[in-house]
Amino acid sequence: MEERNPGMDLDLEWVSKVRVNTQAVLKRAQQVQGRKVAKKQWQAAWLLKAVTCIDLTTLSGDDTPSNVHRLCMKALQPIRHDLLKSMDMHDKGITTAAVCVYPSRVADAVRSLKAANSSIPVASVATGFPAGQTPLKTRLEEVRLAVEDGATEIDIVINRTLALTGQWAGLYDEIRQFRKACGDAHMKTILAVGELGTFTNVYKASLVSMMAGSDFIKTSTGKESVNATYPVAIVMVRAIRDYYLKTGHKVGFKPAGGIRTAQEALVWLVLMKEELGDQWLTPHMFRLGASSLLGDIERQIYHYVTGRYPAHYELPMA
Amino acid sequence: MELGPSNAGSTVTAQSWLEQHSRSLGLFIDGKFVHPENRETLTLSDSKGEKVCSILCANDEDILSCSSSAAAGFKVWKELSDAQRAKVLLRLGSALQGYSQCVCEVCDLCQTPGSATPLIRLAQYYTGWAQLRHTLLPEWTPRGVVAVVMSDDAFFYSMWLKVIPALAVGNAVIVVPGVQMAPPTLLLAQLFMKAGLPAGVLNVVTGNESVGVRVAQRSLINYISYSGSTQYGELLVKQVAGRGVPVSLSLSVCSVCPFIIFESADVDSAVDGLMEAAFKNYTEWRWVVCVQESVYDAVMEKLKFRMFGMKCVHVRDECERARVDAAVHEAEQQGAMACPPPSSGCVYPPTVVCNIAPSCPLVVSPPPGPALPLLSFRSAAEGVALGNCRPQGRAASIWTEDLTLALETAKSLCVGLVCVNTCSVTDPLLPQSGRRESGTCTDGGREGLFQFLSASVAPPFLSQSLWTTPSLELQHPRGRVCKADSGCSRSVHAPGGAVLAHCPDGGRKDVRNAVEAALKVQPGWMKKSPASRALALYSLSDCLDKRKQNMAASVHRQTGVSIEEAVQEVELSISRLSDWAALCDKQNGHIPVLPQTGSSVSTPEALGVVGVVLPDTKPLLSMVSVLGATVSVGNAVIIVTSEKFPLPALDFISVLQASEVTAGVVSVISGGKDQLTQALANHNEIQAVWYWGSAEHCSPLKRLWLHCEEEEDENGRKFWTKPSFSMQEEMWRECVKTGILHQILFYHLYLFCDVASSTPSPWHRVLYTLSVASCPLRPLRDVASSRLSVASCPLYPLRRVVSSTPLRDAALTPLRDAVLTPLRGIVSSIPLRRVVSSTPLRDAALTPLRDVASSRLSVRSRPLCPLRDAALTPLREVAFHASP
Repeated sequence: MEERNPGMDLDLEWVSKVRVNTQAVLKRAQQVQGRKVAKKQWQAAWLLKAVTCIDLTTLSGDDTPSNVHRLCMKALQPIRHDLLKSMDMHDKGITTAAVCVYPSRVADAVRSLKAANSSIPVASVATGFPAGQTPLKTRLEEVRLAVEDGATEIDIVINRTLALTGQWAGLYDEIRQFRKACGDAHMKTILAVGELGTFTNVYKASLVSMMAGSDFIKTSTGKESVNATYPVAIVMVRAIRDYYLKTGHKVGFKPAGGIRTAQEALVWLVLMKEELGDQWLTPHMFRLGASSLLGDIERQIYHYVTGRYPAHYELPMA
Repeated sequence: MELGPSNAGSTVTAQSWLEQHSRSLGLFIDGKFVHPENRETLTLSDSKGEKVCSILCANDEDILSCSSSAAAGFKVWKELSDAQRAKVLLRLGSALQGYSQCVCEVCDLCQTPGSATPLIRLAQYYTGWAQLRHTLLPEWTPRGVVAVVMSDDAFFYSMWLKVIPALAVGNAVIVVPGVQMAPPTLLLAQLFMKAGLPAGVLNVVTGNESVGVRVAQRSLINYISYSGSTQYGELLVKQVAGRGVPVSLSLSVCSVCPFIIFESADVDSAVDGLMEAAFKNYTEWRWVVCVQESVYDAVMEKLKFRMFGMKCVHVRDECERARVDAAVHEAEQQGAMACPPPSSGCVYPPTVVCNIAPSCPLVVSPPPGPALPLLSFRSAAEGVALGNCRPQGRAASIWTEDLTLALETAKSLCVGLVCVNTCSVTDPLLPQSGRRESGTCTDGGREGLFQFLSASVAPPFLSQSLWTTPSLELQHPRGRVCKADSGCSRSVHAPGGAVLAHCPDGGRKDVRNAVEAALKVQPGWMKKSPASRALALYSLSDCLDKRKQNMAASVHRQTGVSIEEAVQEVELSISRLSDWAALCDKQNGHIPVLPQTGSSVSTPEALGVVGVVLPDTKPLLSMVSVLGATVSVGNAVIIVTSEKFPLPALDFISVLQASEVTAGVVSVISGGKDQLTQALANHNEIQAVWYWGSAEHCSPLKRLWLHCEEEEDENGRKFWTKPSFSMQEEMWRECVKTGILHQILFYHLYLFCDVASSTPSPWHRVLYTLSVASCPLRPLRDVASSRLSVASCPLYPLRRVVSSTPLRDAALTPLRDAVLTPLRGIVSSIPLRRVVSSTPLRDAALTPLRDVASSRLSVRSRPLCPLRDAALTPLREVAFHASP
């Protein structure tokens, strides 16, 4: 594991100097989307890379131990064994990067994974997910309980009220406290970009989150109307680059929400490669928050291996 | 994490098209390919050095038949209705759509950057103008046979940006493409025929460099438009000089353009834009980056980060690479910092050269290649100065989130196109033109049509008269009246031969002084509000009105016309001045609506200092008309009086002094026409020369508006006495350049200059392009560097993704295993699926699952389908539909 981002003192001057040109960012996003993606065996390799970066997620009201268990099993064996074998990848330990559940399901997930003798981290959303509109005290408690239950990664949501009203110092303090509550667990900060209004706000929120010691910054909860889009990702990734160039600390990036197809996953990888380079193309630095994406990737890999598309019943359900 | 090898792209359609022509392309004359015997041929090869095809070198005989075919074609084409012409262009658009793959591939094979999409848009855009020409441009007529000449390194698109508008307004066109561009050009010519263009309207003549010149020298040609490198353009103009054909040039290839990043910029976006603009395989422009000192380090850091691991960029060939390398090393010797890793072959790594001296060859004339010079500046004003400090004026890109700064900077940059927070926007809607040495031609948009049109003629009007005043002055700057620098004077004769007066004999130094003074006041004059310029011109007209008698007497004595006629000329002059005063604030720019996001603004802008050599006809009226036209839009003008009849113009000086026109804006110099014209031409600050007469000295790179004048020419008089509205507009177009503002976040600004269009030939005021022989041009740089890098790497990778479904997969399909067969055999009598397919069922062949042993199903098949498929799909019930 690489060194964690220790954070830094809040630098409001840096935050205030941020300028983002909306149209230029949109144009850049179009460019990235227009980039050629890998083909054939290269595509298969990229797709497997995408699989290892997935935070396999279930965040529904009807989650029970049984579907969380199935999710964990899918995370352990994301691609059908025979498919991996024909690509000679069956012994490379291909699993998803983590499973991501609500705090109450953390214990179930930890149990399932322990039973399967796996070290896949369990991530938990916390701090009043998805709206974050609960008192600070309960939000902190939520983080502590999830960590106690065995979650090693915590996805916190920021307080949008503070961000929208420009109270960056307040936001910084809150995230600092969350980080403290996380302890050794990695902290992913969800910016909920769909509710931040402007790209400039997204950039500023990214900077503040990183200054406060986030290990990852994450686009959205998946519950807002606008989720992970390429333009907003470009803005966040630039903030990561800026932070890295100024402090030398690498912060990871996690797009989440609305990523459903293998094609999109490839574009996300290309975006990371173009903007941040190969060193960010690892599960330590890049995660894809998704639930149905894995199925499509498996389909594509099936197609690569066999030359035909599978019927829906040919792939095991998650 | 590599993306794998780039797909080289199939060239099947291109190859089959070339095969149709047996890989030897002829000339395209009179609507068909012709292969005359015994012509020299040139062989084209692709990036791997393999032969693509050969093209013919046209000789004089071919050119002759081509120009007569064009003349015949013009007669037919001109007679068609607007709607008919529009229809041809519309069909061209759809033909292009159908052949887009082929066009791309042919361009690719010939190493010419080109793609069908912008061409389709171009055809569609000018379809509209073809349809509406008589409605929107009623007073303009097509020029006739137009030659479009390209140099070898020009862009394919820039050729059609000239050809299609020329055709749209009813001209016949002879195209002379560069060697590499010839095959795609011939393909497009063929598509034009498919679209129903009458034979002869578009002819393509191929060959080596001399062909362009030889075509241009044909007498049947009425206008020449050139696009490409400066050196060949210059050659063309020299060769064509004195033949009476107007030439306009777009010298955009290898233009050096400033890329200015202010501290208020979104630096990340600027860096992205820069990488996109500078490190592509084909770029038309060379960027020089100017960064404000306070963000210099940030820009460098981010560039370094983004460039890490970037792939090498293709350059045209080995020696091109060596040139880039040499330029970078020279810069390093001068103290610049760059560390390009060694490279070999036709590629060069993206390189940023910082701390570079502004005088370094890499900044002044960068070779084509991914070497990017980086300069720093302190204040915004210094940034603008750095941006303006080069002879080319094609485009600039400025990056700032500050609206005021962006507007101010856009205004002060002396280029045809300013992009704000973006670096390239192309659409046929947006006129492209350059200032300074970037050419004299506007292409694209409505403005791009005028180069192919001439103003219609107005009905005739009256004539002239005579008198005398001895005068001995010469006006120039600051409202001073002074003697010639040489102290010489020359006598002025009345029509009878008597000496009327002595006027100063101005020379080179007088022109120099006048320009100096004009440069001081012109920016201020241009910045004045149009309303105050209008007031100044009204006051001038008023002053002239007060001295009507004197002026009339002067005209009468000088030219010998009757006093009534002289009075009439003065009155006309007065009303002419009022006309121009009225027009001052009426001619606005416009806002082209872009197909992509952002917005643009196009505004007319003054050229700067204009030199005018007046005709002998109507000495006062001609002077006043020209003066009004140039000065009303904000130019300063240096007027050389008629050599024969200088007195009315010299008398007009006192009127000028009495008026509110800023001193120095108008300078009047009398003297020998030839020597003064030469002096005008040899002063690089003079942006345009309008010329009436038959002198022989002029610089081809200026906007020339030339008129041949014969003595006592009835038609010449009409020109001055009763110009039509279109004539007036043409004059206006002569003295402005229009501009555009495009927006990304805030805006992008495009400013473009207008073209030297010309005169209506019906009055046989034939245009004379003057011989350059006697005046050496300023040395144009770029001589060696004007080659574009055309390399093998595909420009449009997206188009090219022809996914090859590999057959190999069939072999790899492990699921359908031979061992499983018996098991499958049991259930195989049940058709698993019914396949209804309208395409050949290739996949069926790859379906080992449905086993052969169990083929008990009947297969209904129509004879049109490949039988193979039926045989190979034993298990399924297949209903075939004949595929087209």
